[in-house]
Amino acid sequence: MSRTLHILSVFCAWALGFVWLFPLIYAIWAAIHPPEYATHFSLFAPLTMENFKAAWNEAPFMRYMLNTVIITTIILAGQLVLCTLAAYALARMEFIGRGLIFALVLMQLMVVPEILIVENYQTLAGLNLVDTHWGVALPYLASAFGIFLLRQTFKTVPQDLENAAKIEGCSVLAIIWKVYVPLAKPTYLAFSLVSVSYHWNNFLWPLVITNTEKSRPLTVGMSIFGAPESGVDWSIISAGTLISVGPLLVLFILFQRQFVQSFMQAGIK
Amino acid sequence: MSSFLKVTNLCRYYDNVAAVQKINFEVNEGEFVALLGPSGCGKSTTLKMIAGLEQPDSGTIEIQGKNVLDRAPGKRNLSMVFQSYALFPHLSVKENILFGLKARKVPKPERQARLDKAVEMVGLGPHINKKPGQLSGGQSQRVALARSIVSNAPLCLMDEPLSNLDTKLRADMRTEIRSLQKQLGLTVVYVTHDQIEAMSMADKIILLNQGRIEQTAAPEHFYDKPLTTFVASFIGHPPMNLIPQADCVLGVRPEHVVIVGDGDIGANTGVEMVVKECDYQGSETIVTGEYSGAEIKACLAGKRSIDNGEVVKIRWEPAAEHRFSKQGGQRLKADG
Amino acid sequence: MANSLFPLTAYTIYSTMQSSKQIHAWLLLLPAMCLLVAFTHYPVVKTIARSFYGFGTRWESKPTLENYRYLLEDDVLMQVLYNSFLYAAITVPVSIVLAIAMALWVNGKLAGKGLLRTAYFTPTVLPMISVANIWLFFYSPEIGLLNKLLGLVGHGGINWLGDPSVALYSLMAMTIWKEAGFFMIFYLAALQTIDRNLYDAAAIENASSWTVFRRITFPLLMPTTLFVLVNALLNAFKLVDHLFILTKGGPNNASNLLLYYIFENAFSFFDTAYASALTVLLLVVLVVLALLQFGVIEKRVHYR
Repeated sequence: MSRTLHILSVFCAWALGFVWLFPLIYAIWAAIHPPEYATHFSLFAPLTMENFKAAWNEAPFMRYMLNTVIITTIILAGQLVLCTLAAYALARMEFIGRGLIFALVLMQLMVVPEILIVENYQTLAGLNLVDTHWGVALPYLASAFGIFLLRQTFKTVPQDLENAAKIEGCSVLAIIWKVYVPLAKPTYLAFSLVSVSYHWNNFLWPLVITNTEKSRPLTVGMSIFGAPESGVDWSIISAGTLISVGPLLVLFILFQRQFVQSFMQAGIK
Repeated sequence: MSSFLKVTNLCRYYDNVAAVQKINFEVNEGEFVALLGPSGCGKSTTLKMIAGLEQPDSGTIEIQGKNVLDRAPGKRNLSMVFQSYALFPHLSVKENILFGLKARKVPKPERQARLDKAVEMVGLGPHINKKPGQLSGGQSQRVALARSIVSNAPLCLMDEPLSNLDTKLRADMRTEIRSLQKQLGLTVVYVTHDQIEAMSMADKIILLNQGRIEQTAAPEHFYDKPLTTFVASFIGHPPMNLIPQADCVLGVRPEHVVIVGDGDIGANTGVEMVVKECDYQGSETIVTGEYSGAEIKACLAGKRSIDNGEVVKIRWEPAAEHRFSKQGGQRLKADG
Repeated sequence: MANSLFPLTAYTIYSTMQSSKQIHAWLLLLPAMCLLVAFTHYPVVKTIARSFYGFGTRWESKPTLENYRYLLEDDVLMQVLYNSFLYAAITVPVSIVLAIAMALWVNGKLAGKGLLRTAYFTPTVLPMISVANIWLFFYSPEIGLLNKLLGLVGHGGINWLGDPSVALYSLMAMTIWKEAGFFMIFYLAALQTIDRNLYDAAAIENASSWTVFRRITFPLLMPTTLFVLVNALLNAFKLVDHLFILTKGGPNNASNLLLYYIFENAFSFFDTAYASALTVLLLVVLVVLALLQFGVIEKRVHYR
């Protein structure tokens, strides 16, 4: 009785795993076979790279990818610097209004920039930053999540280490850079992985703020590329999809353990 | 002829509760001074204020004749050894020792020379490339000392540096720190709650209680002439017996109490004590009893066993008596 | 003696040091706070203002409740709200149940659980937009994979995205697929903190695996469930990317959700003022969830 239950449970686990991976498996299948095999499974289907070529020529993937990389880099770099400074102040400095500031920061955990697309668009239009990389990046540069996560980590650094650095004559910035940052490395890795995967995949805000391929990231590019009215066939869409998720997927497979642990760590705090 | 370090009327309050009140003391160049006291007496706070890690609410701190209150910790020309050692876990032993020299942009050849000398002095040679996580407690302690040595700062502050070590190692490190201090001619302010450390290492002890100084003197004075009942009961192991009398409080050290036995010279003198407990400790036995409403301890050589409830006669030499006022517990001048 | 010209009292030094500390703290916070205020707090205030003073894309000189009056009369909004709550009410519990099951499997003694964990987690790192293209193919009426499978068992096929009574559920399926693996992570973390001794004790009592789950595992996962619940609800209101590919809110708003509706009003119908009123509505929902979360965190603390 318990034995059959166990087998059933194992079967369900793998069946679910298969369903969860299926879209990706299917995309790979369709992409590396000629279009007539897109809906037709055969072990003897010939392999081809034509779909990738076609997809590559169909849309400026290179440009999209470059835009995504630039935007993700600007956001990550900005977040790391700004969040570090703010997190240190909130973790280790006493100043008037600290509680209020921290509450204001936490507010962004709920009210993410996506929700405020209407006003943020107006603001960036006022700054003449519509359809630029900075336009996509700016609302995300100060991340409440990053500030919160780093603050929690910084609070665990022993006060004596900071005192020792002070005795040696280090300034506030030197203390942050030489003591706090190296000790928070795992948190930085966790935050970076979460941030990169979030912004690589982000869609709504880039859709609103970009107009041309000058600044359009992969996700927005894919939404145009994949639209049924564009008349592109499934095999090519699959190939395009793989191109767009490729870098992140490779990153995920390489850093699988860290990814899972990072999301876990990020979630617990 | 001004002293090397001079602390005047130092006060520090936390939420209107005084942690340190009106502390005054001076330290001469090359002197080893211990700030001794129970936990919460204000000794660490005082040390942190000297270091500049905390700001006093009033008072002044002068180092080599200059008021240093407006200087950041890094500009006071001192080094500090922390109770937790404060080693940077991400840096190797070598990088930990060099941390301050790099921060102060000391040229590389000089850095190397100072490093070699410090490593040699504390005997860290084989461990120089290890991370702090791979070191034993004693080795970590040596890294912390080396960091202080390379700084070449004339004043070294130590905050309970030995409290995380086991008894054996602690005894070794006491001699080692003392000899390093003499070799380098360092001026040391050493915070500890351990009277043995203070007695064995310091030239001068400052005993603090509840944010105030109880007594400042050479170690032997603390034993021979405690100024207050607090000092009397803090120094010595076990502490001095305090027996309330009609006009004063009488103090006698346990090691000066003898049990009057058969054939003893003064067999008929002495007072009666009811024995409550015998605690054998190897070289001696500590007998606890009750006399005149006070608990009395007597240290007797060798193993002694006396039944509980037995009445024995005890006595002590008049010269071993200390007298304190009933109010305030101050030492009374006219001894005997 | 040295400072006799400028006597430094401890108090003046203390106060100057304190104020320089204040300045340091504010300097460190300044860049992050400027951006946070500019892109979170200022737009919230402006959104509220616009919802009262706006008309279309213009600003009126006097406040008006026109946008809110329209809010009450808007039949599409009623449909959208109904959809949004139904969407949350179904995707959230289903995702959570699946997430718990996944976590239990991956945390168990299964062979190849590393691969399984990767399979469950992969949708989390894939861009919703890109994968939506593949799902679009599964759902497409003529050649779509799902209908082909139905064809094999002799079913005539379902118009997954075109049928108003089915479209929203088709969206939900993809949402669950995307979210469950993400929530699994939190449960996995929680499972790893459970004391093994509890299971040993249960084994000695000869408890069945169902009893162990119901009496030990599930209660100990409760704080995580509350935490995940609130975050899942939040996500249910924020996650609309796949609408752009799969249904565009159609047919006839049958699968339209609140955030997508805000987007439509602002950037397709150019009724910024009405979009602002809708955003205020969404903010209210988020504030309620935020309060709920504070309650939840409170409970977590009591639980520990």
